[in-house]
Order: sequence, then structure tokens, then C-alpha cells
Amino acid sequence: MPSKTKTPKDTALVYNQGTFRNSALVRQQTVAAYLFLLPALVFFCLFVVVPMVMCLVTSFFDYRMGKPLTFVGFAQYIKMFKDPIFLKALKNTFILVIVAVPAVAIFSLWVSSTIYKMHAFTRSFYRCVFYLPVVTGTVAVAVVWKWMFNKYTGILNYILSSLGLIEQNISWLGDERTALACIILILFTTSIGQPIVLYIAALGNVDPSLIDAAQVDGANNFQVFWHIKWPQIMPTTLYILVITTINTFQCYALIQLLTSGGPNHATDTIMYYIYYQAFKLNDYGYGDAMGVVLAIIIAVLSAVQFKVTGSGSTD
Amino acid sequence: MKKQVSLALAAVMAAGMLTACGGGAASSAPASSAPASSTAESTAASTEAAAGDALSADITLWTYPVGNFKDETAVGEVIANFNAKYPGINVKVEYLDYANGDDQVTAAIEAGTTPDIILEGPERLVANWGAKGKMLDISDLWTDEQTKDIAAVSESVVAACKNADGVYYEFPLCMTTHTMAINKEMFEAADALQYINEDGTWTTENFEKALQALKDSGVDTTCIVYCGAQGGDQGTRALVNNLYSGKFTSADHQTYTADSAENKKALQQLVDWSNAGLISYDASFAAADELQLFANGTIAMSFCWNASNQNQYASSVTFTPMPVAFPSDDGVPELCGGIWGFGIFDNGDATRAAAAKEFVKFVCEDPDQAVESVRMTGFFPVRASLGDVYAGTADADRMAQFSGFMPYLGDYYNVAPAWAEQRTEWWNMLQRCFMGTAVDESVQTYIDNCNAAIAAA
Repeated sequence: MPSKTKTPKDTALVYNQGTFRNSALVRQQTVAAYLFLLPALVFFCLFVVVPMVMCLVTSFFDYRMGKPLTFVGFAQYIKMFKDPIFLKALKNTFILVIVAVPAVAIFSLWVSSTIYKMHAFTRSFYRCVFYLPVVTGTVAVAVVWKWMFNKYTGILNYILSSLGLIEQNISWLGDERTALACIILILFTTSIGQPIVLYIAALGNVDPSLIDAAQVDGANNFQVFWHIKWPQIMPTTLYILVITTINTFQCYALIQLLTSGGPNHATDTIMYYIYYQAFKLNDYGYGDAMGVVLAIIIAVLSAVQFKVTGSGSTD
Repeated sequence: MKKQVSLALAAVMAAGMLTACGGGAASSAPASSAPASSTAESTAASTEAAAGDALSADITLWTYPVGNFKDETAVGEVIANFNAKYPGINVKVEYLDYANGDDQVTAAIEAGTTPDIILEGPERLVANWGAKGKMLDISDLWTDEQTKDIAAVSESVVAACKNADGVYYEFPLCMTTHTMAINKEMFEAADALQYINEDGTWTTENFEKALQALKDSGVDTTCIVYCGAQGGDQGTRALVNNLYSGKFTSADHQTYTADSAENKKALQQLVDWSNAGLISYDASFAAADELQLFANGTIAMSFCWNASNQNQYASSVTFTPMPVAFPSDDGVPELCGGIWGFGIFDNGDATRAAAAKEFVKFVCEDPDQAVESVRMTGFFPVRASLGDVYAGTADADRMAQFSGFMPYLGDYYNVAPAWAEQRTEWWNMLQRCFMGTAVDESVQTYIDNCNAAIAAA
């Protein structure tokens, strides 16, 4: 049979039919995707977007239990920045973030760098050990630390006095000079689990051929780390920094369980103060205004972290 | 573009933060602004009509852990007894604790899902939720007979259960006085029992002598002024007020009087004793922590004791915990009281309100049940007609130790305005005093903050 040569017209027809079929397929897939997303979107809207908008709106009202809702404009925000306890909570929160976030990131990276090359069993063992505080309930963790820090029966004072390092027992959580440091220590131990697991995975994914090539070219360990590994684990670092920062800003449970913000507001954090104002004193409007400010602070800091770590130029 | 995407992502993550802050901002604001009294009146009026009929309703009871009212089996028996007389009323119970109970009630109020009945004290039922228009006026339960019966035990109880306008929001069941406790064996070993009178009272001067005797006998920590949180704060309040016969509020309960000369003198005395090593303070301790150390035998005294604690710790202590009054300069203490009873939330349902009232009356008034109800709490009856509910029981001796303190029951000032704010300010003030801030300055901050809270209330 003589072969039938396709004319340009035939080709265009086939192409158009394919495009039509592709468009239908894309539409079908899009609808399916949205249907799959729908439950999550509904929950997201109901439990994130709606409360978020309500929080913003009510921050402009004097909103307390048993009192009429009164529009007060920016009065809550003005009151906030004249409130010495809020300012102290803000300062404490920044101290927590400035100390805990870099400490968590650096320590996690150091531990991960040390163990990621180990035998799989050993690596898993260390991963479990460091991840244990993450899966342990916050209440259990807080109770154990509270025992250890107890002035009269705590093991910390017992060890230090046994070694002759202290003459009198210290009320670790009851002394303005030590309470915040104790919170930072506990926060540190409960925060390093996830970064370590993430760093181990990220370091394991670094292309070994690049490391070999660099070493053949005479690069030392630091140069290999700085020029080969560090750029490749940068997205993980960014994620860890952002998540740890947000978690640290949200530090509430430890404060509630261990110090209730004391002594003398030495461990008040913004999150705890929001809880205190909104749920202890039922001043929802003021609590909401503080929540808005906290959200803005976190947004700005996260943006700075994106900028500084240069994630905008990767992809 | 990439930067914009990154920034947008950061903004979304940060925006998620708002969720934590907006959760409690429920849409009940307009409801809370409605005049509560009119709602209460209408519900109360229609309650009268429904009460005469055979009631059929599903009601909920929330109990704070008042004695055995935290125990499902014990409460189940009460409900079974109630249902024997009122088979149509189904009572569902939820058990609260003091750590989270207030938050749960607050959330329920905001969500419009409050229970019908709640068991707690006037500081919450009257001064907090009642003042905010959330409770039902239950003055109809306060018949002349009931009022006389309760007043015969203590006029303070009657006064505490109603607001300044005379509207009753609580129907009381039981009461107690909060005391101190000493480790009797430690005191004996230090020859310090001589400073305590036979009736358990002692003077400030003798208290100091006892502290010195305990230290001299080698007791490392005599007692701890706990100020880590508000739990058990009645102990530290009673300690401060009694040392030099100060008052906690004005007589009309409208202002706080920590700045009186007597109270400031007492605070300074405590700081001086602390500096001298006679007592300790701990800003990380609440009453529960102090009680545990007392029960362990680590410290010689507890500032947070009552009949219920005596019962709770009886099996775990290896010494004799002896209840004593707080020391006072004249030897005549004014002890803080605890009053517990029932309140009914105004849920706008006359039938449920009527059923709730029947339940409350049954638990508090029924000739057979009332005695059992009081025994369940581990405290004392507020009704003279019930007599000695512990006579002939295994608890008779233990309760007799505490009944001797009932005449020293002081003013029930817990219904003062801005009570919740005051509680936080109180332990913060103690922390400041013990950490070196001048007593005058610390007290003034406390007073200023309380006044600001009262003005905002």
C-alpha cells in the first residue's frame, strides 16, 4: 500500500486533538487535586484562617467576658507597649530565641556531623536518644526537670554540693538569676531531636563524589564542610532555623508547668503572657493584640532568616 | 519572584501563629453583652412553673475536686440516690481539676456550652462568673428556714454566697478553716511544743521562739513561704495577715489593704526571718510542693493544711501532723475559710434549671443525703441542723481536731473585686519582697496593680 504522508493540516488536527485531550485531563486532575485538598482546606480555613481574622479584628476591641464589646482602635497596642510586664516578656522571649536557636542549630549540626557516617545501628541509636525528649510528653519532661532542679531534694544540688561546688542549695527555678537559664536548657534538650534527624538525613544526601573530588584537590575537612556540605544542607538549615525560632517564640508549656512566669516575671514569655491575659484574666482583646504583634515579629524574623541564609537565590 | 515566594511562605507560617491567639475569641461576645439580669429573671420565673411538674431533663454537673466529689464512684452513688427520687433527671458528670478547671469553664462560657451545675466556692461562683452575669439567680433556694440554718453556723457563709445586690449565686454545702500544720515529733525534739497553746493557737513571739528552737535543734528548713504560683495562697495570706492582726481587704471587700502598717510589718518580719535563716522562701514552689516536703518530713511546718489534707496525707506520713492556727500577735487568729457549694449556670432552659435546682436541693438539704454529701467533702456542714456529721464515724477524732478552729473563722474576703488578678499580684509581691525589693515598694506595686484591675473590672 502506498504510504500516506501526513499533511501539515493533518498534523495540526492531531496536535489540536491532543491539546484538547490534555486540557481535559489537566482539568480532571485539577478537580481531583482540589477534592483531595478540600478536607484539609476546610480545616485550615475553620481553624486557622477564621480564628486568625477574628484575632486581628478583636485586637481592636475591648473584649472581656461579661462586658460589652467596645471598639477601642489601637488602644490595646498602645497599652501593650506601656505595659512593663509585656516588655519584660518580650525581652525574655528574645533572649530565649537569641540563645536557644543558634545553640540548637550549631549543636545539632555538630552532633549530626559526628554520627552521620557511623554504622547504621549506632546512627539509629543516637537518633533515638536525641529524639526521645521530642516524643516524650512536655508535662513528663517538665516534671522530671522540676525534680532535678528542686532546691531541697533535687539531684543537681546534691551533685554540686557533693562536689563541693556550692555551699548552699540553689533554688534554680526560683531565683531570678538562674530561672531563665534553666528554661533555656530544658528548651534546648527538647528542641534538638528533630534538627539532628534532619541534619543526619541532609548530610547523608551530600554527593560523595564532590567530597572525594575536593579531597583529591587537597581540601581539608573544614574546606570540604564549608564549600561542599554547607551549601548543600543550607535548605535544611533554613528550615531548622525558621521552625526552631517559631517554636521558641511559642514557648508556653514549660513556663506554665515550671515557673508560671516567675520569679518576679523573670521567665515570662509573650506566649505565656498572652495565655495569662486571655484565659486567666479573660481580657481577650489585649491577648489578641499581643498575638498579632507576636505574629508580626515572627513573620519579620522569618523573612530575615530567608534573606540572610540566601534561600531566595536557590531553587 | 523567588524572594517574594519565600517571603510569602514566611508570612503564612507566621500567620499560623495567630491561630493560637484567636481560638478563644468565640462569637459569643454579643451574648455576653446582653443584660444578664433580665435573662436570669426570665429563666427564674419560668423555673417556678416547671418545678411543680414531674421533671424530665438531661443535666450536667461539673465538680472541682472538693473532697470525694472528684471520685467517680462516690459521685455515682449520690446520683443513684438522686435518681431513686427523681428518675426522670439524668445527671452527667465531668470532673475538673484546679490546674485546668478555670480554663475549661472559661472555654465553655465562650462556646456557650456551660454545664447546668457547678461545685466550687463563692470566689468563682459569685465574684467571678456571677459578677459577669453567667450564673442563675438562685435566691429561691434560700428560704428563710435555710438562711437561718446556715446563718446559725456562720453569717459569713450567707454573705459570701450573694453579691452586693443581695442576689444569691451559690447554695453552700460545706466549709472549713485553713490552718497550719506542724511535725509534732520535730517540735518535741526541739522542745518547741511549749510555744503552742493547748487549743492550737500561738503568738507571733512564740512562733519566732519555736523557729529558733527548731534551728538550734538542727532542723535545716523550718518552713517555706511558697510563692511560685497561686495554689494554696490562702496559707501565705493568713500568715501575713495574722502575724500583726492585719486585714486582707476593707470591711466592705471593695479594696485590698496589704499596704496597712500591720501587713507591711508582717511582710518585713518574714523577710527578716528569711534573711536570718529562720524560715525559707521559694519562688518556684506552690502549696503542693510545700505539702510534699512536709509529708516527706523535710520541713517542720506547712502553711497549707486543712481536714482534707490531713486525710489525704494521713497514710503517707511517718510522723504526726498536728494542725495549729496561724500565729498572731494577740494569740487570737483569724483563719481563712473555705466554702463550697453549688451554682447553676444560666443556660436559658427553664426545665434544665428546675432540674438542676432539684439536684442541688437534694444534695444539700435531703435529710439522708445531706449528711453523706458533707462527709464526702471531708469538711464541715454549713447547716446547724445537720449537727456533727462525723460523730460515730472513723473520722470523728480527726475532724474534732479541726472543729476546734471553727470559732476562729475570719472574714470571707475572697469575693473582693478583681480577685483573679489579685491572686497573681499577691505571689508576685511576695517574690519581690523576698528578692530584695523594699517591702513598701513591693506592696505599693501590688496595690496599684490591684486597683487598676478593679477599675478595669
